[in-house]
Amino acid sequence: MQYFISQIVNGLCQGSIYALMAIGYSVIVGVVGFVTFTHGEVIIMGAFAAYYAFEFVGSMNLPLGILAAFVASWLVGIFVYKVCYERFFKAPRHIALICTIAVSILLKNLMQIVFGAARKPMINVIDNKIYTMGPVQISRLQIVIILTVVVLSLLLLFIFKKTRWGVSLRAISQDKSAAALIGINVKRDAMVGNCIGSGLAGVAGLLIAMSYAILYPSMGSTFGMKAFTASVLGGLTSVPLAAVGGMCIGLVENIGITVTSATYRDIFAFVFLIIILLIRPQGFASKKGGRP
Amino acid sequence: MSVLLEAKNISKHFGGLKAVDGVNMNINKGEIFGIIGPNGAGKTTFFNICSGIYAPTAGQVVLEGKDISGFAPEKIARLGMARTFQNIQLFKYMTVLENVKIGFHIKTKTTMADAILHTKRYKEDEKLIQEKGMELLEYLGLQNLAGTRAGNLAYGVQRKVEIARALATDPKIILLDEPAAGMNPNETASLSEFIQNINKDGYTVAVIEHDMKFVMRTCHRIMVLNFGEKICEGTPEIVQADKLVNEAYFGKGRIARGEVMTDGNA
Amino acid sequence: MKELMKPVSGTLDTIRSAFLKHKKLCLLIGVVLSILLPLVFPGGYICGVFCRILFYGTMAGALNVINGYSGQMCLGVAGFFAIGSYTEAILATKFGLSMWVCILLSGIVSMIFGAVLALPTKRLSGIYLAIITLGFSEVIRIVCLNWTGLTGGTMGIKDIPAPTLFGFVFSRPRHYYYIFLVLAIIFLFCTRRVVNSRIGRAWMSIREDELAAKSLGVENGTYKITSFMYGAFWVGAIGAVYAPYVSYIDSTLFTLDTGWNVLAMLIIGGQGTLSGALVGSTVINTLTEALRSFGDWRYVVYALLILVVMWVRPQGIAGASNSILAGEKEQKVKQDAETKEEVC
Repeated sequence: MQYFISQIVNGLCQGSIYALMAIGYSVIVGVVGFVTFTHGEVIIMGAFAAYYAFEFVGSMNLPLGILAAFVASWLVGIFVYKVCYERFFKAPRHIALICTIAVSILLKNLMQIVFGAARKPMINVIDNKIYTMGPVQISRLQIVIILTVVVLSLLLLFIFKKTRWGVSLRAISQDKSAAALIGINVKRDAMVGNCIGSGLAGVAGLLIAMSYAILYPSMGSTFGMKAFTASVLGGLTSVPLAAVGGMCIGLVENIGITVTSATYRDIFAFVFLIIILLIRPQGFASKKGGRP
Repeated sequence: MSVLLEAKNISKHFGGLKAVDGVNMNINKGEIFGIIGPNGAGKTTFFNICSGIYAPTAGQVVLEGKDISGFAPEKIARLGMARTFQNIQLFKYMTVLENVKIGFHIKTKTTMADAILHTKRYKEDEKLIQEKGMELLEYLGLQNLAGTRAGNLAYGVQRKVEIARALATDPKIILLDEPAAGMNPNETASLSEFIQNINKDGYTVAVIEHDMKFVMRTCHRIMVLNFGEKICEGTPEIVQADKLVNEAYFGKGRIARGEVMTDGNA
Repeated sequence: MKELMKPVSGTLDTIRSAFLKHKKLCLLIGVVLSILLPLVFPGGYICGVFCRILFYGTMAGALNVINGYSGQMCLGVAGFFAIGSYTEAILATKFGLSMWVCILLSGIVSMIFGAVLALPTKRLSGIYLAIITLGFSEVIRIVCLNWTGLTGGTMGIKDIPAPTLFGFVFSRPRHYYYIFLVLAIIFLFCTRRVVNSRIGRAWMSIREDELAAKSLGVENGTYKITSFMYGAFWVGAIGAVYAPYVSYIDSTLFTLDTGWNVLAMLIIGGQGTLSGALVGSTVINTLTEALRSFGDWRYVVYALLILVVMWVRPQGIAGASNSILAGEKEQKVKQDAETKEEVC
């Protein structure tokens, strides 16, 4: 029982990281209109940026790490947008898709060349004090992770609802040509959307590296898939539902491995997704988004 | 005259919107049946229900005494109903002949083994669709365009190819959704003649159209829809004289009576 | 860049039409050359490359039936590959079945999985289908990794027996080359015939316009499933030869990266054409082989190649520029239709 409860706590913590990745993913899919397979590499890029920022400064400053991760992933987002999306808005969908796959291969191998393929220990920024509340045990690291995700999500919500940027991003995600008609610079703002999504993914990368205490270039693809899965669960373009999807996957995974062995961890997300999609083809969304 | 296609109290609601509401219709064998109505009257939705793209919220569609409501479009096509689309849906990157060949899909029976081994059945099927396809194109005067990519054709010709493709399924009834849209008066006139011709050759035709002149000239009987409801049905003369129809098209206020000089859109 | 590369794309178009003009001659030359190749270059290493070109090419061709001809999006080709390979490996090591039988059995097993995977296409399409196939591929891999009793788990399956034919043992890459070659030729032969039949036309009609296809009585669900089954069969069959060829298989051979490779070959070569898959496989395998001494950099070059092809010639090297898969042109056709509408 104790084990089960701690797995739920772990699931919530991991789920919140997945949620942040999925939020980023859904922002990208919503605003740009294409699915991406570079997300995993963007995630790891953020983690590496934070890792080197820590090393450069010499202190384990979390806000600095978050900033470094966000900015680095933002820049990668610009690159991905320019290479994969900008000229393919009107082309068949598989072209942008294969371009993101190519960029994913490109980034992964560039990271292996530049950072080295070996596993790097991610220095823990937060000491691992454990709080006990009745049967629930939660570490300080987990609290920090969940808080970071919540704060960033609220920030995103604020940007989307209250700022002009957010309004134009929402307009673009609903109808690009109509947005262009009312004077929104669709190409630029779609890029900004892509960058915001990438930036959030980068921060999620930092958090996942902290929680696993390890970092290497090829670990991204699994997380990219998880983000994709979570986002599909949420109907691809809905940000809040993507967050729910991410939480669900985190929980399902961690509860799943209590039933079977940990080696099956990566299966649960997909099996869960397949089951949900067979029951509800549109995922958690109320009706078919359909677009991408 | 026997009834070929019958709609019994058909309704289709999208959420709160009643796109089609309790429409009854009989199309007799061998006639040209027109459906008219202002924009948003539910004409295309009605066609989509008949051809199986939507399932009706209530009511029945009966084809030759068989209840087909809720059947999948491909099944309905097999039972002998073909249709064209408002925004032409040709296979744009295929040639005209290939388009028509796909129309023969339900008339052929080649299996994968037949295709790989080039059995007798495959050869017969291919010969049949090649010959019949060219025959059909000649019938419509398109034989010279057989090898042309459908997407490169002029608008009016594309409409014709779409009709040819629908005829290839050898339908009992063919539904034409706004066949004259985007055509100039000459093309419209020849289309009208063409529809009357294929009707004489034994096809039953149902047609949605905006162009009043076209409908009055072509159709034997007309049904008028407005806001999803049938407001009138009968021969062109009856429909022309109907007060409700005039109101639906031109409104009933001062504008319709010509007291105010504005475009009268109801 | 686009302008700069236009002549390249134009040249490819010219070559393509020249090939189409002298189809039979080119085919003959191709077959003769491919039969002679291992005799000219008998080395194990270089024949290994030829083998790779062939089996990847055939696999990409099988994927082409699903993605190119029927317009579905299957990203799970590695899963079928794994199923085919493991089926052969298990049947051959545990039951001593001959590989020749296993080719058929692996194909059929893979085909059954293909049918099951395609069942949801009745309700799902586009990216939702893509993620299901992706998930399928990963689930297969992870099951192969963990079901130690059946698949050997992380240890994999060792010592898969080499096939024999009338006492002749296929042991060198150049022997396998001919098996792969025969399979590829049979595959191309069958696929050409299927594509040019009622079934192929039905597949293409679904790709071009699903609604119109339905209205003409093409049973979409059935044909989508058929295309998945057909593609899966061939990938499985290739897997069955692949297993004894490498003589040791484990789950790391069937990662998503393998799937991406096959997909990239298909798209670079050109979807919706029979030759495209082989062309793509030839280009990519030759290139990655030529760059082998550059270590990780060769993957960088590989990725850049994909990007360049997509930028310059989105329909792929052997793709037709007037196909629905070419992109750009679609806009032009639409524009033409619109301008015509205005004229009318």
